[in-house]
Amino acid sequence: MRLSHTLTPVATLGLMLFGYSHGAWAEASDKLWPAIKDSFFAGKTIEPAPFIKLEGPRRAESGAQVPITLTVDKPLNDAEAIQKVYLIVDANPIKLAATYHFTPLSGKAQIATRIRQEADSFVRAIGETASGKLYMTTIEIRAAGGCGGPVDGDDSAIRAAAGKIKLSAETPVKFGEANPATFMIKHPMYTGLQRDLVSGGYKPAFYIQKLDFNFNGKPVMSVDVGVAVAEDPYMRFFYVPDAPGVLEVKAQDNEGKTFSQSVEIKS
Amino acid sequence: MRKPFQLLIALFASFQATAAPLSVETVAPGVYVHHGVHKDIDANYGGDICNIGFIVGKRGVAVIDSGGSPRVGAELRESIRMVTQLPILYVINTHVHPDHIFGNAAFKEDHPVFVGHEKLAAAMLQRKESYLKHQEEWTGNDAKGSEIIPPTLPVKGSYTLDLGDRTLLLTAHPAAHTHADLSILDSGSNVLWTGDLLFIERTPSIDGDIKGWLQVIDTLRTVPATVSIPGHGPVSKEWHQALDNEERYLATLLADVRAAIKQGRTMEQTMDNAAQSERGKWALFDIVNRRNVNLIFPPLEWE
Repeated sequence: MRLSHTLTPVATLGLMLFGYSHGAWAEASDKLWPAIKDSFFAGKTIEPAPFIKLEGPRRAESGAQVPITLTVDKPLNDAEAIQKVYLIVDANPIKLAATYHFTPLSGKAQIATRIRQEADSFVRAIGETASGKLYMTTIEIRAAGGCGGPVDGDDSAIRAAAGKIKLSAETPVKFGEANPATFMIKHPMYTGLQRDLVSGGYKPAFYIQKLDFNFNGKPVMSVDVGVAVAEDPYMRFFYVPDAPGVLEVKAQDNEGKTFSQSVEIKS
Repeated sequence: MRKPFQLLIALFASFQATAAPLSVETVAPGVYVHHGVHKDIDANYGGDICNIGFIVGKRGVAVIDSGGSPRVGAELRESIRMVTQLPILYVINTHVHPDHIFGNAAFKEDHPVFVGHEKLAAAMLQRKESYLKHQEEWTGNDAKGSEIIPPTLPVKGSYTLDLGDRTLLLTAHPAAHTHADLSILDSGSNVLWTGDLLFIERTPSIDGDIKGWLQVIDTLRTVPATVSIPGHGPVSKEWHQALDNEERYLATLLADVRAAIKQGRTMEQTMDNAAQSERGKWALFDIVNRRNVNLIFPPLEWE
């Protein structure tokens, strides 16, 4: 038995109109930014930043792990250097994803990371100089809720595994230059807005808050991490080794627990 | 086959209810499936992209997946009413995805038992806010009345539903396509309804555990069915071959992603390069394959 699904001309026209009007759904809203700007940068002027590049997918494949690459194409060792970059996702409930504090030992201000994105949004990188000048680059990324994952809800096992770190330096290492390294930490990064499947309420926020990278004890970079950084935070970054030594990371979560890991950089 | 006047009455009834029946294919006596179109879930996808249907026994009807909107559910209900006036006893959801569950609301008036994997209710609760937030964007006006209706009968291991002259053997699987997949074997026809554990034509999408899915494929191979209704794609007698194809895609993807991680490639590079030997063999490949890499790459970095 086969029945066909017929549409009257009126219904068809309605569908067509509907289809067109809803093209507007698939766009990030620029209405969110003025309030965000007021809360983070009240009264300040933000200039466009051709030297800050943000790369991400036009349409994110998964809102749970959106790959983003941030590059500041400007020397890190002069007075006008961008020392700090804020990464902001307009449409997320918690807007500030991370703040990166670079030093001359970062060598190259480039970060590849993965963020969470709840909805179509503008994503912004705002660079700040030592004197407080602000520069911004914005991209638009379409995405839908990164809310999947296991439903076993074995919280104690997840907490027990949290804090395991993988830190690796790419080889061969070139001394005196910026070299790439990769950092990963096992962590659920609970936002405080996710359902607790047992109580029906919300799981309390539980996330990595701060990262400090050092080379032979000297600061390379630090990061203030927010809950918009995806589960099991990932970061590819640069550091400058002047000689063989140890690249180290110290991580702290919002409950005050600390984790560390190091990798030997050999000649 | 139905008599013409019955058809007329049914058509009249359907106009009254303002829902036109969906086209359905008769797979075996009492087993009906409606095929959606191969579209990705995105703005205005319309809610009609997967296989949904029903099985009629002497006691009544079991619905298997209800479609992506209350409207699609109501249209499926009209198709049922063109075949039988027996009560709708069960609405079975094979898994949590919105294209399979948002028609549930259309069956509330029938007071059926809603059936799913023991972990389906938790999966529904976890995604409820996000799904409801996007439902209007996905299905427009058809989203009206959308609600999450979790199973009242959770299935752990296996469970048998009695439709009178036939039984449905339900099997709850470990994490595979999702974390809560259910398959259905009809004793009356030897038809295996796989939900999204089997994709034919359309690129298999992973939202659970790729390694678990490869194991569940082995489990499905042992099911004594003559015909299979996949979650997406045509009804197939050659369903063992279809499982082989699915396994080949998943195994290729897994091997490619593992190799990329070992070679220190980034996730973005891997999204461009993994499983490209399968391109051209599947619908929606460029969209779904990239998403699969995005989902499996981060956890595989911790192997």
